[in-house]
Amino acid sequence: MTDSKYFTTTKKGEIFELKAELNSDKKEKKKEAVKKVIASMTVGKDVSALFPDVVNCMQTDNLELKKLVYLYLMNYAKSQPDMAIMAVNTFVKDCEDPNPLIRALAVRTMGCIRVDKITEYLCEPLRKCLKDEDPYVRKTAAVCVAKLHDINAQLVEDQGFLDTLKDLISDSNPMVVANAVAALSEIAESHPSSNLLDLNPQSINKLLTALNECTEWGQIFILDCLANYMPKDDREAQSICERVTPRLSHANSAVVLSAVKVLMKFMEMLSKDLDYYGTLLKKLAPPLVTLLSAEPELQYVALRNINLIVQKRPEILKHEMKVFFVKYNDPIYVKLEKLDIMIRLASQANIAQVLAELKEYATEVDVDFVRKAVRAIGRCAIKVEQSAERCVSTLLDLIQTKVNYVVQEAIVVIKDIFRKYPNKYESVIATLCENLDSLDEPEARAAMIWIVGEYAERIDNADELLESFLEGFHDESTQVQLQLLTAIVKLFLKKPTETQELVQQVLSLATQDSDNPDLRDRGYIYWRLLSTDPVAAKEVVLAEKPLISEETDLIEPTLLDELICYIGTLASVYHKPPSAFVEGGRGVVHKSLPPRTASSESAESPETAPTGAPPGEQPDVIPAQGDLLGDLLNLDLGPPVSGPPLATSSVQMGAVDLLGGGLDSLIGGTNFVAPPTAAVPANLGAPIGSGLSDLFDLTSGVGTLSGSYVAPKAVWLPAMKAKGLEISGTFTRQVGSISMDLQLTNKALQVMTDFAIQFNRNRVQNMGRLARFGLAPAAPLQVHAPLSPNQTVEISLPLSTVGSVMKMEPLNNLQVAVKNNIDVFYFSTLYPLHILFVEDGKMDRQMFLATWKDIPNENEAQFQIRDCPLNAEAASSKLQSSNIFTVAKRNVEGQDMLYQSLKLTNGIWVLAELRIQPGNPSCTLSLKCRAPEVSQHVYQAYETILKN
Amino acid sequence: MISQFFILSSKGDPLIYKDFRGDSGGRDVAELFYRKLTGLPGDESPVVMHHHGRHFIHIRHSGLYLVVTTSENVSPFSLLELLSRLATLLGDYCGSLGEGTISRNVALVYELLDEVLDYGYVQTTSTEMLRNFIQTEAVVSKPFSLFDLSSVGLFGAETQQSKVAPSSAASRPVLSSRSDQSQKNEVFLDVVERLSVLIASNGSLLKVDVQGEIRLKSFLPSGSEMRIGLTEEFCVGKSELRGYGPGIRVDEVSFHSSVNLDEFESHRILRLQPPQGEVRLTVMRYQLSDDLPSPLPFRLFPSVQWDRGSGRLQVYLKLRCDLLSKSQALNVRLHLPLPRGVVSLSQELSSPEQKAELAEGALRWDLPRVQGGSQLSGLFQMDVPGPPGPPSHGLSTSASPLGLGPASLSFELPRHTCSGLQVRFLRLAFRPCGNANPHKWVRHLSHSDAYVIRI
Repeated sequence: MTDSKYFTTTKKGEIFELKAELNSDKKEKKKEAVKKVIASMTVGKDVSALFPDVVNCMQTDNLELKKLVYLYLMNYAKSQPDMAIMAVNTFVKDCEDPNPLIRALAVRTMGCIRVDKITEYLCEPLRKCLKDEDPYVRKTAAVCVAKLHDINAQLVEDQGFLDTLKDLISDSNPMVVANAVAALSEIAESHPSSNLLDLNPQSINKLLTALNECTEWGQIFILDCLANYMPKDDREAQSICERVTPRLSHANSAVVLSAVKVLMKFMEMLSKDLDYYGTLLKKLAPPLVTLLSAEPELQYVALRNINLIVQKRPEILKHEMKVFFVKYNDPIYVKLEKLDIMIRLASQANIAQVLAELKEYATEVDVDFVRKAVRAIGRCAIKVEQSAERCVSTLLDLIQTKVNYVVQEAIVVIKDIFRKYPNKYESVIATLCENLDSLDEPEARAAMIWIVGEYAERIDNADELLESFLEGFHDESTQVQLQLLTAIVKLFLKKPTETQELVQQVLSLATQDSDNPDLRDRGYIYWRLLSTDPVAAKEVVLAEKPLISEETDLIEPTLLDELICYIGTLASVYHKPPSAFVEGGRGVVHKSLPPRTASSESAESPETAPTGAPPGEQPDVIPAQGDLLGDLLNLDLGPPVSGPPLATSSVQMGAVDLLGGGLDSLIGGTNFVAPPTAAVPANLGAPIGSGLSDLFDLTSGVGTLSGSYVAPKAVWLPAMKAKGLEISGTFTRQVGSISMDLQLTNKALQVMTDFAIQFNRNRVQNMGRLARFGLAPAAPLQVHAPLSPNQTVEISLPLSTVGSVMKMEPLNNLQVAVKNNIDVFYFSTLYPLHILFVEDGKMDRQMFLATWKDIPNENEAQFQIRDCPLNAEAASSKLQSSNIFTVAKRNVEGQDMLYQSLKLTNGIWVLAELRIQPGNPSCTLSLKCRAPEVSQHVYQAYETILKN
Repeated sequence: MISQFFILSSKGDPLIYKDFRGDSGGRDVAELFYRKLTGLPGDESPVVMHHHGRHFIHIRHSGLYLVVTTSENVSPFSLLELLSRLATLLGDYCGSLGEGTISRNVALVYELLDEVLDYGYVQTTSTEMLRNFIQTEAVVSKPFSLFDLSSVGLFGAETQQSKVAPSSAASRPVLSSRSDQSQKNEVFLDVVERLSVLIASNGSLLKVDVQGEIRLKSFLPSGSEMRIGLTEEFCVGKSELRGYGPGIRVDEVSFHSSVNLDEFESHRILRLQPPQGEVRLTVMRYQLSDDLPSPLPFRLFPSVQWDRGSGRLQVYLKLRCDLLSKSQALNVRLHLPLPRGVVSLSQELSSPEQKAELAEGALRWDLPRVQGGSQLSGLFQMDVPGPPGPPSHGLSTSASPLGLGPASLSFELPRHTCSGLQVRFLRLAFRPCGNANPHKWVRHLSHSDAYVIRI
């Protein structure tokens, strides 16, 4: 004891001194001492040791001293609950004091002492004070009920305080009403189901009356409470609106905003044809504008709210564009909000003004702001179509300033403009390319790369440009890497001859040297696409992109409606529903706008147009669902073999027969070489692949398209010609993949093993242009177990159309070599051309017409299909399942004319006109195609399909 | 509702800390706030900050942070309004708002807070009403003299002048008036307008906007009805016009809740009954945009010569004051941001009392007094060291370099209102006995808020 005293002399000294002063007889000295105690308390010194001494000063008739002591008590009662009890008697006594100030003070302070034991003593005084004759005491007691409820809700209910509180809503004094409303609202929020604030037309009327007499703060409570009321019909809504409207001109911005909230909510119920609706709209604008002349903090909060209001009802502020012009001395957070609202209000009428402003802003010094301003110009272009041209030229002007960050932002937004208005402003690409070197931000680099890739055919040195980016591939950010990969693949598909190396390089960089799974996956997908089916790759990668939506970053309509109910609260500042940031479930009752009443049903909905597809930040290809499925199924899921991707071989345009040696070996028959796997990744994943395709068949609903006509199996290689091996087979096409279904039967007496298969190359040639179907096995022949005598296996051999090619006569002739442990056998078979008809062979009507006219008449071939008693309907659907699509149908002089299109795997379009005469079993087929030599085979395909 | 209120010094030390709801956190919250505020990235708004279910809303006033926290979805407007009212209240009761006065008057501040906020609900913020409850006397550090006339500026009006000469009336705590009843009766009425203007580089007017206020400060010992007569041609809204001659039109008006508007429609008279003793209130607020009845006070005619090759920048500014020749503008200052890295400045000014200098990357041209109708000019030459860009663009001599402008003007126009609104008379219903005539001071003043001319 003595020791500790020794160590803490200074501290003890001070406390000791205060103790002495507190116990002094002189009132003044006591008062000064308590003040000193409170000052120490504020600075964070622990003066709890003085508790008994301070409490001793409590019994005084000096109001000032009493207040000071109470202040101390509130602070320390919690840490000294036992001591606090000592004060209870004085509290209870003070609650009976003739001076209303002291009564109120006692009740207020007791409520703030959050000690359980005290609450019991609080009940009686509180009950009395709730019925006190002095309104100051009543209003304090009303709040005290809320305090007590927070400490002990059950007690409050048991004691019936809630009912007393409800009675206070009808009190004669508006201050009391306001506090009672506030207290009840808060208690009601913690019991969402209870009907505490029973709002009905009568109580609403009382509230509206009190509204006129209350202090500004009371008005806020009442207005917030009104906003939760749901009027019965539009008439009641209108009458409430009329009584709330005068609050709009209040000097206190919180009152104004609470009034705006009530009006915005109830307006929803008013018919738009009503005169009053228009009047109300007009009345809402001036107070909102006034808020913008307040201090920057208030302006900011106001702007966040206006942002919501403008999205919900743009008509309110459509003429007030000027007030949102940025002032030079606005803080940055105000500037950015104003900019956002300016864009939302931009329309054809004011766009010139807005653009001029934005251009000014783009030359300011504040980098963040300048960037946003440049972006805003791009958003204007996308929003107001008529202004797009001016926006683009403004952006070009800005690019000419050569200010690094301005140029970069401009390029990012020009990319969006290209997406919104394709084929309109590409003339500026040259200017953009000039600034290539100055780009150092990932977003700008990615945007520029996208532009180069997308318009590769118009940029002479696109390959050089992209190559220059490729050098530092691994130092780029992911965004840029992904974009570079896509761009180079696009470039390759557009200019295959010169860019093979580039594409190989990027694919290997992306798949082998990268740790990023996204990049690797995308690399693999492209690789496989290119290797299995470059045509499909083209379809996927160069597919038409969906337009980006009108306005970006609009708040989603349902959230917007909810936020409108929270105007003038924190939710409207964060633009998030309260449930996202209020903890503990308090006040998270979901609010919604009232529905329009029946009378106004016909009125046009004011909602802003719903947002379309979210604007793709990544300007990626988004192929149609069906195509994607089809193309995915074409993919081989095994890991690619390292080495050059095989894609290249198929696209080699030259007539050089790279694998000519293969044919020699085939014919020579002595030294059979393994299938050209250099080209095809090992099909380790075949089972997975087929499993997937099954899955897709089940789930995707593409089932209707699942198969072209399949001819029954025919014997291709009789047993006698092949030392006992009999091969029969047919070709099938299922959801984009071609396969050769083989049946191998061992009719010899010995076991057969080591099966392998190889095709001779086949192709179709046209003058100058090569039309070829490089059918090749996409996987080795999988015969797992040795084939014992008299055993039969069924094998489905997936085929790809990217094999090497060689002219065949006829062109659908396929020469096959099959090897087993006994010998090598050769046979040839004709494959039906329809297995090469691809799923997306449906041509657009306009396109069909144009193409039909475009193809010279000498390319037209006419055939008769006899004994085909089908009507147009049946024929059309039959053909469709084999990917011959009916583009249009006409009836001319009693004859049904079907105009049809189909596309071959190598991209050759064939247009057909099928004339069917009801009652006549034969029909006429006219075919037009740029490669007329296929016509004969297409006709055969028609015949096969229609007759089976 | 409000959970906590605290005042921090500019260095982040808590001066006042009050917890209304007994919810956790304690004093650490204040420290947390300061850390969060100072660590905020530039483009993020500091007005409303969020941390683990606690929201901070603050304003900065006289170098102090006034902060409230809440954990509910309350109205940020009411919190911001409350904070600015509290700043006024504390200023009223403690004399002035500052670190010193607050820490001297801790007990008084707590007492005030208890009356203003109960359980986080705002009760009242009116100085007059609170006077009934507040017991503690303010501790004032130095005596003041009301008659130190040299320093009687415009109380409350935040003009440049008030910074130079703080009004002594403004730094006198309201309560102290109880002790010296012998003070002279005085009523001050101010019509203060803030003018914000935006002029495009081609000289066309993009935006004009006037924010006006009528402020009253009375020291009358006994409350008596007061009648304020405004210009009769005064009208509100776009359509309405009354009287002959050019109407004094404003777009939007709001009045203090204690103003009686019975005679406003007919005679443009505001009636109000200020309570006994010292009162300050904003009687009326109005705003006007786009159409000003009088010409703009200043026009600026800039011409810029910029030679990118040599880095020589020449700015010639001609400033014309379009006020009536008997009026004048005071403390005119032109602020022109310059391109980064400007090194030297040479100047030729049209009159000797002007001054121009480089300050914080901007040109500052001070004109202490500009007579109406006069025209002043200045020629400034600066060297901007070569920009990093390629020198091949030396041709663009006319285009101004990046970072130049816009020019902004700040000034005061005594005895002038841009809207044309005047106070015709200020009458007191009956003379308080004892003291004969109360002194009535009516002033009109316009000053710039943001007067920006693009170059």
